[in-house]
Amino acid sequence: MKIVVLLKQTFDTEAKISLDAGGRINRQGVNLIINPYDEYAVEEALRLKEKHGGEVTVVSVGEAQVQDALRQALAMGADKAVLVSPDGVEVDEYSTAVILAKAVARQEYDIVLAGWRAIDDGSAQVAARVAEILGLPMVNMVTKLEVNGGRAVATREIEGGVEVVEVPLPAVITAQKGLNEPRYPSMKGIMQAKKKPLEKLGLSDLGLDPAQAAPKVKILQYFLPAARAAGKILPGEPAEAAAALAKALREEAKVI
Amino acid sequence: MGFAGQVVFFILALFAVYSFVMGVLERRRRTLIGQPENRFDRPGERLAGLVTEVLGQRRVLRDPGGGLMHVMIFWGLIVFTLGILQLMLEGLFGVAIPVLGRSPSFYLVTDLAGTAALLGMLISAYRRYVARVPRLDVGNWRQERLIVALIAGICVMILAYFLAWGARLAAAPEPRFALAFAARLAGALFAGTGPAQAMVWHSVFWWMHVALALGFLVFFRYSPLVHPVTAVANVYFRYLGPKGGAIAPLDLEDESRETFGVHRLEDYTWKDLMDGYACTECGRCQSHCPAHLSGKPLSPKWLILHLKEHLEERTRKHAGEAETRKLLGEVVKEDEIWACTTCRSCEEQCPVFNEHIRKIVGLRRAMVLDESDFPGEAQLCFTNMERNYNPWGVGWATRADWAAELEVPQLSEAQEVDYLYWVGCAGSFDDRAKKVAAALVRVLRAAGINFAILGTEEKCCGDSARRLGNEYLFQTLAQENIETLQGYGVKRIVTACPHCFNTLRNEYPQFGGHFEVVHHTQLLDRLLRDGKLKLAAGEALRLTYHDSCYLGRYNDEYEAPRRVLRAVPGIQLVEMPLRRNTAFCCGAGGGRMWLEEHIGERINVVRTGQALAVNPQVIACNCPFCLTMLEDGLKDKGAFETVRAVDVAELVAERLS
Repeated sequence: MKIVVLLKQTFDTEAKISLDAGGRINRQGVNLIINPYDEYAVEEALRLKEKHGGEVTVVSVGEAQVQDALRQALAMGADKAVLVSPDGVEVDEYSTAVILAKAVARQEYDIVLAGWRAIDDGSAQVAARVAEILGLPMVNMVTKLEVNGGRAVATREIEGGVEVVEVPLPAVITAQKGLNEPRYPSMKGIMQAKKKPLEKLGLSDLGLDPAQAAPKVKILQYFLPAARAAGKILPGEPAEAAAALAKALREEAKVI
Repeated sequence: MGFAGQVVFFILALFAVYSFVMGVLERRRRTLIGQPENRFDRPGERLAGLVTEVLGQRRVLRDPGGGLMHVMIFWGLIVFTLGILQLMLEGLFGVAIPVLGRSPSFYLVTDLAGTAALLGMLISAYRRYVARVPRLDVGNWRQERLIVALIAGICVMILAYFLAWGARLAAAPEPRFALAFAARLAGALFAGTGPAQAMVWHSVFWWMHVALALGFLVFFRYSPLVHPVTAVANVYFRYLGPKGGAIAPLDLEDESRETFGVHRLEDYTWKDLMDGYACTECGRCQSHCPAHLSGKPLSPKWLILHLKEHLEERTRKHAGEAETRKLLGEVVKEDEIWACTTCRSCEEQCPVFNEHIRKIVGLRRAMVLDESDFPGEAQLCFTNMERNYNPWGVGWATRADWAAELEVPQLSEAQEVDYLYWVGCAGSFDDRAKKVAAALVRVLRAAGINFAILGTEEKCCGDSARRLGNEYLFQTLAQENIETLQGYGVKRIVTACPHCFNTLRNEYPQFGGHFEVVHHTQLLDRLLRDGKLKLAAGEALRLTYHDSCYLGRYNDEYEAPRRVLRAVPGIQLVEMPLRRNTAFCCGAGGGRMWLEEHIGERINVVRTGQALAVNPQVIACNCPFCLTMLEDGLKDKGAFETVRAVDVAELVAERLS
């Protein structure tokens, strides 16, 4: 079975976020990782391959440093990787999806896996847009997946419970935490990853011109949340302190 | 003795010697299925070890009970061999060993030796079957029959010797037997027997003795009890490097390698395999093993013995690969592999210098580097170390935040410094250990030491990664740190973490990083002795000191921290029974700090109990991991409000004048 995984490289979850002089997110000295939800998708792809045989291709959009994330997926056991450079286009979810859909369409695939959202911008749009462009059914936030003879049965989280759905393949499935525990690459995996094919493409290789991939959303401003003020301890007898607390909640915090 | 008798003797002797030589060669052949390893260097040092450890029985005597028994058997049998020789020569050719064979003292000494060996054997039987010393793990009759046979055989052999001489001197008393008390005692049995009849008895016991003495050489070939020969070899071929540098680096660049850990017995070196033959199952390792004593499935003794059994099984003629069990998971279970805290107590106690820890690390390497099958907590720890260079996984950019308020200079902006202060991950990220770091900063400043830290350029030393089997991650971190340190031309390093201390001092040299590294207690000791630190009087404190494994057993530093403690006015140091090289681990070593402890008692709680038993107000330690473990132990024991766990540096900082 041919499996394609959409993968994004993101900041490490512990990265210190700061803005540069131009008001943009400072990427200096930040460690980059595979988006954790995409890592679940890679792991699930590898498990499907181990069960049903086949091939896993990871696809990403981004600049050269994204190769590290793709190599990591190859080290985990993916067979090949495709990296599309947006050629300097400032991508949004729309452009990313357009590019990814083109890149996926070049592949043979029975199933497309992705994380349900990326931990950096958190917009959770890309996988759905790709499904839309490719005309595929999509199941979101999946915590259990079984594939059997051209159909997939997926368990997905819904408010207050779970839902079990069946879709015909090919389909796009997005991973939620709990789907699996991603493996740690073995030495053999790391060594082999260096030799596995990693195809680097530009927009023109996909028959796209920059205008087709132009973003539809423009970011106006980034700003950091206000630093959290220190906590306050109200002294005194319980009754006194409670009165002071009520006063503070009403007058200072203005929440009651 | 007639010609026929001589012929019979020589046939027996030839067969015995042939069996013995074959026994040695067969073991050698089996052992050599292992990987090559050079243990032939430094012959002088190796021979010196034979003198102290084999002839001097140094480690054996650490346990006075079993030790004395062993000395009686060992030295008894060696000296007794001269008596055997004399008895054989005289019986065969009627000649005596020149000079010695005519001296009454010779027969006194050999009788003493034989009696000592006999008593030693009886004591061993008593320890096994009456006292049932727990560490011996006495088995059922099937498992014990060879040992019983050996004990009985040696006893009868010695008794036959006494009886042979006894009959001989009953037949014809001679002045040379004047002091031979045992032979004379035996001779009394033949009083009233005529000389000719006594000589018949002499022959009977002579042959009985000879048959048993030679029989042991045959027994050697066919029984698993080969310790008398292999133990000596094992002491000679013992590891001679720094104790903290005993984990050998792997060549991770070698692309021809299919695997990196130990999957099959053949992946061990010949020395690892010989360890099994040297072991005589005394169990001192397991009676000091925190994992074993807290109810985990690991026993260092059974690890060695299972490997030995597996070696026999695997090297049996016609045994195909398929017929033998899997090393990982079958011969050694996964719970055993992960239970080890690498505290080194087993290796410290082992009288034959077996090397347990590297065997376990080899298996962990297989699980991590090759199989990628290991506890999830370890994976989190690795990922944290990869992404944020500390096992806690706190953002690396905040590594120096603890030092900002204290205005600790960073090496990137400092001039010449006396010491680089290697803070370590705990001192940088763990709230409790940060207080120790701050205390050390105050103390160093009070002593006028010029120091700086690496700040955010410092990365985890890699200790836990290496001991959990992730050599790849360890080497990555080691190389990056060495590059940073060398980039600044760092020469001297002080650190408050014994794990960092050991890794930087003993393991970074494997990768070209040579630095002078001191543990902070060593530096404090020097500063106090040089008068650079003055301490003020304070309240009287009853204190006990917990030796960390990596400062103590791995680096033999027991005194410096104790001298510091004695220099603090008002402190009364009360020692725990398990201290210095027998100190009980806190449970956090070998990467266990990051793993859950599901089986048995918690090791830190056991250790805290040992500390509380001496009724201290303060438990002093020298390691951030120990500090965490002991504080958790105090909470578990409900003693957190009444007993404090502190680092030695904190006590000094509290008393700065």
